[in-house]
Amino acid sequence: MIALQHISKWYNIGGKPNFVLKDINLNIQEGEFLSIMGPSGSGKSTLLNIIGMLDLPNEGRYDFFGQSVYDMKEKHRQDLYKKNIGFIFQAYHLIDELNVYENIETPLLYQNVKSSERKAMVGDMLDRFNIVGKKDLFPSQLSGGQQQLVGIARALIAKPRLLLADEPTGNLNSKQGEEIMQLFKQLNEEEGITIIQVTHSEKNAEYGSRKIDLLDGRIQQHIKENISL
Amino acid sequence: MKFAAGYAWNKEATFEANNKIIKEGGNYGGEDFFRMFSFPLLKGRAETALEEPLAIALSKKMAEDFFGSAEKAYGQTIRFQNKKDFKVTAVFDNVPSSSSLKFDYLLNWEEFLNENEWAKDWGNNAPETYLVLREGTDAKAFAKKITAFIENYFKEPNFKVRLDLQPFGDVYLHSTFKDGELSGGRIQYVRLFSVIAIFILLIACINFMNLTTARSVRRAKEIGVRKVVGAFRIALIRQFIGEALFFVFLAAIVSLVLVALVMPLFNELTHKQLTVPFADPRFLLGFAGLILLTGVVSGSYPALYLSSFNSISVLKGTIRFSTGALWFRKGLVVFQFVLSIVLIIGTIVVSRQIDYVQRINLGYDRENLLYVPLEGDLLKNYALFKNKAMALLGIQQVSRITDNPTNISNATGGVQWEGKDPTSMVQFAQAAVGYDFTGTLKIPLVQGRDFSKDFPTDSAGYIINETALKLIGYKDPVGKKLVFWQMPGMIIGVIKDCHFSSLHDPIRPIVLRLGETADYGRVLVRTERGKTREALASLERISKELNPKFPFTYSFSDDDYQKLYTSEKLVGKLSNAFAFLAIFISCLGLLGLAMFTAEQRTREFGIRKVLGASARSLFQLLSKEFIVLVLLALLIASPLAWYFMNSWLLDYAYRVNLSWWMFALAGSAAMMIALLTVSLQAIKAAFVNPVKSLRTE
Repeated sequence: MIALQHISKWYNIGGKPNFVLKDINLNIQEGEFLSIMGPSGSGKSTLLNIIGMLDLPNEGRYDFFGQSVYDMKEKHRQDLYKKNIGFIFQAYHLIDELNVYENIETPLLYQNVKSSERKAMVGDMLDRFNIVGKKDLFPSQLSGGQQQLVGIARALIAKPRLLLADEPTGNLNSKQGEEIMQLFKQLNEEEGITIIQVTHSEKNAEYGSRKIDLLDGRIQQHIKENISL
Repeated sequence: MKFAAGYAWNKEATFEANNKIIKEGGNYGGEDFFRMFSFPLLKGRAETALEEPLAIALSKKMAEDFFGSAEKAYGQTIRFQNKKDFKVTAVFDNVPSSSSLKFDYLLNWEEFLNENEWAKDWGNNAPETYLVLREGTDAKAFAKKITAFIENYFKEPNFKVRLDLQPFGDVYLHSTFKDGELSGGRIQYVRLFSVIAIFILLIACINFMNLTTARSVRRAKEIGVRKVVGAFRIALIRQFIGEALFFVFLAAIVSLVLVALVMPLFNELTHKQLTVPFADPRFLLGFAGLILLTGVVSGSYPALYLSSFNSISVLKGTIRFSTGALWFRKGLVVFQFVLSIVLIIGTIVVSRQIDYVQRINLGYDRENLLYVPLEGDLLKNYALFKNKAMALLGIQQVSRITDNPTNISNATGGVQWEGKDPTSMVQFAQAAVGYDFTGTLKIPLVQGRDFSKDFPTDSAGYIINETALKLIGYKDPVGKKLVFWQMPGMIIGVIKDCHFSSLHDPIRPIVLRLGETADYGRVLVRTERGKTREALASLERISKELNPKFPFTYSFSDDDYQKLYTSEKLVGKLSNAFAFLAIFISCLGLLGLAMFTAEQRTREFGIRKVLGASARSLFQLLSKEFIVLVLLALLIASPLAWYFMNSWLLDYAYRVNLSWWMFALAGSAAMMIALLTVSLQAIKAAFVNPVKSLRTE
């Protein structure tokens, strides 16, 4: 599904390149649940953003379902992104001015889904996450766990095949975190959604099917399975 | 009372002395004139300058024109209008252009009374009298004493004349009266433009507040750090107000330089000689006060607001603005655009009205029409002049009139007809005209005919206009009886209504009588299109021949007409400038708000981007917000502008109608400008990099 080859990203500081990612080679199959681990500043989030097409590397090649991402037109890439990728953040990043319903609905607006269809899809999602009663509340009126639930619902609404999560439990207490991770596992196993998460927590990483460790922009070790380049 | 002097009235007259014939502009003044006013005399004494009936005082310029110098002019004789000789009894320094009394010569008041018999009539109120009261006299008490003075001499049932005093210093700005009460004058423009200036300054203050608070998101960290290191709130407030004062001070210096640069342009536009009184301590003090006030006003809101931040949340970067503050700022922007849109609409309406004045069919053709003053020998030689002129190439028709067709000011109630209501006080405009009058002016006749030398009875004939006919009510007017100033005669023609006065006034009924040999007035010359220059040259030749003692002068009817609207043209130009300024400053305000909003919503835009929003949809999202503001401003501005401009237009009897497109045009202009202003910020926001804007730490 995803093939990264020789991905490098650096910033020039004082004329010298300061590498955030250095020669990353990574293959991810559809249906995997990958955890990216590593200390602060190791490049975890940057890698996730590159996979999520939010950021560009300085060097390297990225194939998504066999198509070279950096060779396609901007519009094509946008379409590919909109249809296939959902994002979940540590800070939830809900829109404060919109209520729960509207927050979940937003991605559909950008995919030109018809109004009646949107209604049905958001309704399903609210139902599934048991937050029908909260649909008119604003993010500030929700607990962290509830906000992250809305964030996940929003990421899933457009039925993506790849879910990217940047420290999804970082702002939650352990019980809420566990619930979220359980949900991820369920999504991965029952619906076959590919998940890549960035996490600090060894425990959270255990929910995944594979784990990579980043240190200073390089992949350190491969656990459970070896990737075949 | 210490002194009193009559004063009237700007008159162009022809003088002759030293073999020179020159036209000069001047006035008549009472004996006390030079004792009352401080016009410095270069020769002669103020006490005796206008003592004798045949005395004349000349300006330095006029003395030099004729005699070479003030010294040489003193005691000399100068011939006035080729009629009378006057003795130069004083030479005064040239009257500065800032004076509201302007004259190059001053004749004795006696001469005015001699020339104008009507001025001795108690009911006449045209010339003014200037008084100097003794020191210690209460002007109000004095005015009360003289109020009823004229009633002893002048009694008419339907007419009342009162006397009143007005301080001379007030006359220039307060010169409009209605029913004997002061109702305005130039002061209205002073007030109007002061209000606009205050508004513009206020808008600038608002913008400063807006921009400062918008930038505060960036400065929040500085504030937080300052607070953490122990700055008291009062120190922060002092810092922010100090900064505002500093900016205002810089702006004040720039504004002084700008004023100095723009002043010549402004003077040219307004025909004034204004200067900035840099040396006047009152000006400097006032200016310093203005700087202080502006600085404190514009600095106080940001100071109080920013210093109230909680330092911990500031350092964490989690400060959010309350929706109240946001609405306040939006309200300010709406307010600015209301003002701008009102000004734009005002500019459109004024320019439409000026355009209307240009295009309106006056009823007579003002193009290719010349006025030549009837003076000197031309008065007795008029018939000959007309004959010779008619034979010239490029001249189509010649006639004459005792008034100025552009603005016939004479009116009378002395018109009688069969069936007139005896209590009617209706006033008729009136003038004496020559043969072929309507033909020369190209006024269409509705009934009857023009004055013609082929009808000797025309000396008792009258031409009226349609308005007069309606009033009089005759069915078949031609041949019917009409009595004008006790002279019975009959109506020989009815002309279509024409605008013989400014469009401010409705068309009045008019009675024209034959005045082929009247002893004053002007010649009307209709030239052929494109032949004006040749016609003028030949006219000058025959004028020299028939009227050698007077220089040939003329004016174009169209120029006279344009002069009627000098003030509205000035208002038009000034309102253009003000509208531009207001729009410009409002755009700065809008820019401030756009920057602020874009800053505030960076995170939201980043999220939307991640959710798949295209740059275009983000651009639209942000622009829409401002379009709504401008629409709201348009909604508020429209009735305001309608009210103001309607009352401005009410001053005209003939005017353009306010119509919806003016408002639509102003609205879309404001919208376009607003969008242009916002677009850069919107584009910036649209191309936001979500990776950056969503970084948590």
